[in-house]
Amino acid sequence: MNILRFLQEVDRRVLYALMLLVIAFPVLVPIPLPMKVSPATQSLYDSIEGLKENDFVLFGVSWGAGTRGESRSQTYALMRHLMRKKVRFALLAFEPQAKVLNQKIAEELQKEYGYVEGVNWVNFGYQIDQENFLQGFGKDIVGTIKKDIEGNPIGSLKVMEGVQTAKDIKFLIDVTGSRSFEVYITFLQQPFNIPMGGGLTAVMAPEAYNRLDSRQMVGLLGGLSGSAEYEKLLGKTGEATGASTSSAFAHLLIIAFILLGNVAMFLEKRQRQRMGYGEK
Amino acid sequence: MTSFSPWLAGHLEMLKLWIGMFCTLGLFSILYRENKVYRFFEHLFLGISMGYLIVNTFTDNILPKFWEPFWEKGEWWLIFPIFVGLFYYFIFSQKFAWLARLVIAFFLGITSGRAFKAYVNDYWPQIPSSFKPVVPHDAFTAADGTQIAELTRGGAINNVIFMVILLCVMSYFFFSFEQKHPVLKNTAKWGRWLLMFAFGAIFGSTIMGRLALLIDRVTFLLKGFGGGAIHKDYGPWIMFAIMAFLTGMVLYLTRKNAAKEEAQ
Repeated sequence: MNILRFLQEVDRRVLYALMLLVIAFPVLVPIPLPMKVSPATQSLYDSIEGLKENDFVLFGVSWGAGTRGESRSQTYALMRHLMRKKVRFALLAFEPQAKVLNQKIAEELQKEYGYVEGVNWVNFGYQIDQENFLQGFGKDIVGTIKKDIEGNPIGSLKVMEGVQTAKDIKFLIDVTGSRSFEVYITFLQQPFNIPMGGGLTAVMAPEAYNRLDSRQMVGLLGGLSGSAEYEKLLGKTGEATGASTSSAFAHLLIIAFILLGNVAMFLEKRQRQRMGYGEK
Repeated sequence: MTSFSPWLAGHLEMLKLWIGMFCTLGLFSILYRENKVYRFFEHLFLGISMGYLIVNTFTDNILPKFWEPFWEKGEWWLIFPIFVGLFYYFIFSQKFAWLARLVIAFFLGITSGRAFKAYVNDYWPQIPSSFKPVVPHDAFTAADGTQIAELTRGGAINNVIFMVILLCVMSYFFFSFEQKHPVLKNTAKWGRWLLMFAFGAIFGSTIMGRLALLIDRVTFLLKGFGGGAIHKDYGPWIMFAIMAFLTGMVLYLTRKNAAKEEAQ
């Protein structure tokens, strides 16, 4: 087969194979690439950096296995920062799988920072009907949640001391692969004027940027690159930093094939015209 | 489960890795072509997700908020919302359908109110933030005491670009009358183009998102499974070699099938 024709008709499986190898290699051999921190990430970092010790943060974690590749590294980075700042936080999920996935992350990080469940953090578990739930939650946190995932009454936990309503929440974070961040804005951020940040999947992030402009959100992490930038700010290389190299290489491969395919098309067109039997 | 079988307790982590590996490769098999292995794992994933949802809805919501208060604390009045919910089924009765309409009307009212609240709280603050200053100025304190930050020449140009794009895109959505006037016609045309740029950027971002999911699975196969189930140091490289071999096989089969089709 002619090379120009081949480049225009590359079988998708060939592309998948190349993509797999291009992604796998940087996973095995770390190749550090320069990275620029975006203003949205920097702003979120600065806002959390501004929190005082023992402040209470509501950490929305509405993601499941389907977006683990992006949301997990965001959760790791943000939770690590909260623990470094010694602030209290509560995990709240509107996605059933998130309850356990995030519990594991918190249990893993708490060893590193000396956090204790029930004293420094709590998992409110999986809740249904986010809109109705948040309306009640904002006015009476303890009465709405009742028990944490271990079955302990919320009101008896040390972590909840002085936290009655949404007015006692100093910062709100939502790491999500869905539109849950909009519901947080509607029913919690705006009515109670709570500063809010987000960790969104790359698909969702473009729709949230206008909320930065209106200051409904103070900052956000957009997909894998957002978590890699945050890891850089924390000075702690995590899974996102390595994965962002794979992502960059995969993008280069896609761009290269788009360019090659188009160049081949134009060259073939010219070749046919020169030979006198192509369209003009 | 672990107390039931000590063997299982000792091998649970290893089993998880092997199951994870088979599930991942089974789902990746769709990349070659539609097949029954992929269908099996797809249905397995959907079934597990659904089962997980039902169990968690019960344990985290129905159990602490209805079941325990009702049976253990005697909060008998919690039964009333269930009766109200059951009114929906009167829709099947001609005589009592009005009862179903009562509940439907009630929830329509609530939903409309919530939608209005969502509109006010989510979209309204974005309207004033769209009005941006386009003349550079130094930092100053406004009459109401608000601190206004400095607007540089670059910032002003940025705001002008923002305003032009906003007006062009908005003019595209004037559907109530025919866009005959040359000014409106051209701005609407530009608005369409600018929307296309935005959709392109969103699509590019979507690709990045999908790649992140693939990278997560590849990392699991190499480091999670390779490093955990095969060998801590050499396992990832062994998995890389296996993946390269499988990839080579797929390419060989693809080429062979293409040659066969060409010959026919």
